[in-house]
Amino acid sequence: MNPLLRRLRRELFANPVDGVISIGLILALVLGAAAVVRWALVQAQWAVIQANSTLFAVGRYPIEQQWRLWLLTALLAAATGLSWGLLRGTPRGTAQPPRSTRPWPQNDRLAAGILVTLALLVPLGLELQVGIQLRWWLITALLLGLRWSAGRWGRLLPPPLLRLVPLLWPLLYLVGMVLINGGLGLIQVPPAEWGGLLLTLVQASFAILLCFPLGVLLALGRRSELPLLRWGSVLYIEFIRGAPLITLLFLGQNILGFLLPGGMAPERVWRAAWVLTLFAAAYVAEAVRSGLAAVPAGQLEAARSLGLSVPRALIHVVLPQALRVALPATVGQFISLLQDTTLLSLIGLLDLLGTARTVMANPAFLGRNAEVYLVLAVLFWCCCAALGLGSRALETRLNPQTTATQTTTTA
Amino acid sequence: MTTPTMIARPMIEARGVEKWYPNGFQALRGVDLTVNQGEVVVVMGPSGSGKSTFIRTFNALEDFQKGSIVVDGIALSDDVRRIDAIRREVGMVFQQFNLFPHLTVLENLTLAPVLVRGRPRAEVERQALELLERVGIHEQARKYPGQLSGGQQQRVAIARSLCMEPRILLFDEPTSALDPEMVQEVLAVMQELAREGMTMVVVTHEVRFARQVASRVVLMADGQVVEEAPPEQFFSHPQHERSRQFLSQIA
Repeated sequence: MNPLLRRLRRELFANPVDGVISIGLILALVLGAAAVVRWALVQAQWAVIQANSTLFAVGRYPIEQQWRLWLLTALLAAATGLSWGLLRGTPRGTAQPPRSTRPWPQNDRLAAGILVTLALLVPLGLELQVGIQLRWWLITALLLGLRWSAGRWGRLLPPPLLRLVPLLWPLLYLVGMVLINGGLGLIQVPPAEWGGLLLTLVQASFAILLCFPLGVLLALGRRSELPLLRWGSVLYIEFIRGAPLITLLFLGQNILGFLLPGGMAPERVWRAAWVLTLFAAAYVAEAVRSGLAAVPAGQLEAARSLGLSVPRALIHVVLPQALRVALPATVGQFISLLQDTTLLSLIGLLDLLGTARTVMANPAFLGRNAEVYLVLAVLFWCCCAALGLGSRALETRLNPQTTATQTTTTA
Repeated sequence: MTTPTMIARPMIEARGVEKWYPNGFQALRGVDLTVNQGEVVVVMGPSGSGKSTFIRTFNALEDFQKGSIVVDGIALSDDVRRIDAIRREVGMVFQQFNLFPHLTVLENLTLAPVLVRGRPRAEVERQALELLERVGIHEQARKYPGQLSGGQQQRVAIARSLCMEPRILLFDEPTSALDPEMVQEVLAVMQELAREGMTMVVVTHEVRFARQVASRVVLMADGQVVEEAPPEQFFSHPQHERSRQFLSQIA
């Protein structure tokens, strides 16, 4: 018998009870899938998505300025391809032999395949103009091309240059902010005109980037020996964790306006971003605290007895270990933060959900809620899956015990 | 052991050191100890006698409330700069090794000399590799501590301390966490250091090491020094009842 058939038989039909359960589940799956496919192909009318794809993507961002967003997308794709290729092509530290034999592990081939399929099918399905389709294809080609060349020749770069590569991302973030917002000679696009996925991603990335250092500081403060610092941190963390985000968002919209003299209060969008940041920081602090607790006291003692000052001991010895432990929980926080951005639609911002609600309120697309929500869910799922994948790759890479052979099985 | 004929230079002078834990327990009850340059002082005693606490005061890992400690001419006080200055000169080897698991063996050695002493990395790496060769594990330099045996880890920890070029080395039960077959390899390294004239204070239960290497043996019990004598005298003719009792327990 065919080995695949034999394996299927062993795993699904080992005994009569297993067989019955398997058949029942397979039937349910097939029926469910058939219903979804029939709905998606026959009943659903995707015109609502096709007509509003730009709105979902960037909101009311002025059309004549959208080239800036295309440029940013291309830069992001380039940075992703470069980092991906370098991660695969250069071994971590010097402990491992170079893995030149397998430049494209199975996972990478799978990811590349999915990317190409999406790049080909999604623009087609959305019936985008040929010019815009072409842009997506070019961006995908750029990403994969850089992945290929960085994986192939990345090892030839001098090590000091390689160490600078992670700095590319914060730099790119600043460039991205200028591109989106304007300034430095670019026309200002006020935040009120940002919307859709763009606004969601700006809010989430801003909050994620800032809540992390804040959370680390809060966690250190909570473990500090200075009573004022410790109690301040505890009070802050427990207050934030005890209040629902939506109340804090409303509070932020109102209170910041009252507290600051006229005109000083940041734009509504930024007020919300700060509330999200301060909210997430409290949760990240708890994740980091559990990581700090996992580092034995002897580590700090050893570092101190070698003459390292407390800040240096924290930076070079304690935090690297603590953050590795805290990474999964922290990324979990980031993912829920990304999903929490949907609450912004309740305070009147046009994030993905807010945009969707305006679209659904349009009489032309009445009753097309299911299509819109499904697309929203898939978009969010993609973003969260990307975060999760990135964190798992980082985890594997940060684990000093991971050898080359383990990487391929656990990644 | 030969006794130094020239005038001994004191490296550690502890006078009347008393320490209370925050819960009110008095761990040290007026301990005096002088360690001269090049001496190897072995501190023994039952668990809870305060011996580890005592040697941890020498590099300010533990504070104390009464008495004075002068290390290499620097008085221990709350002044942070003085504490950092002392820690640069005093190396410490721990029972649990306390290697940094996220750094390679080589990085464990080079971290402090580069950061604290500001020495060029290449030079420190060369010295680190020499030290690793001396303790017999230079071919493991690129591995991570978790990939080494306990005995190898402890030898790396000793090399890490030596890489700071300390004037004094403190050992806090360096072989207590090791499997029996690995104790010798660590003691051999320590013996070699003693022969080269390193000033060492060693908390240990290894009688053979104390007999062969120690200049003096100090017995502590209940936060006090009970007896202080050359090893031959201490092990053959202990003066105090408490010493005899302890020796019969570990024999």
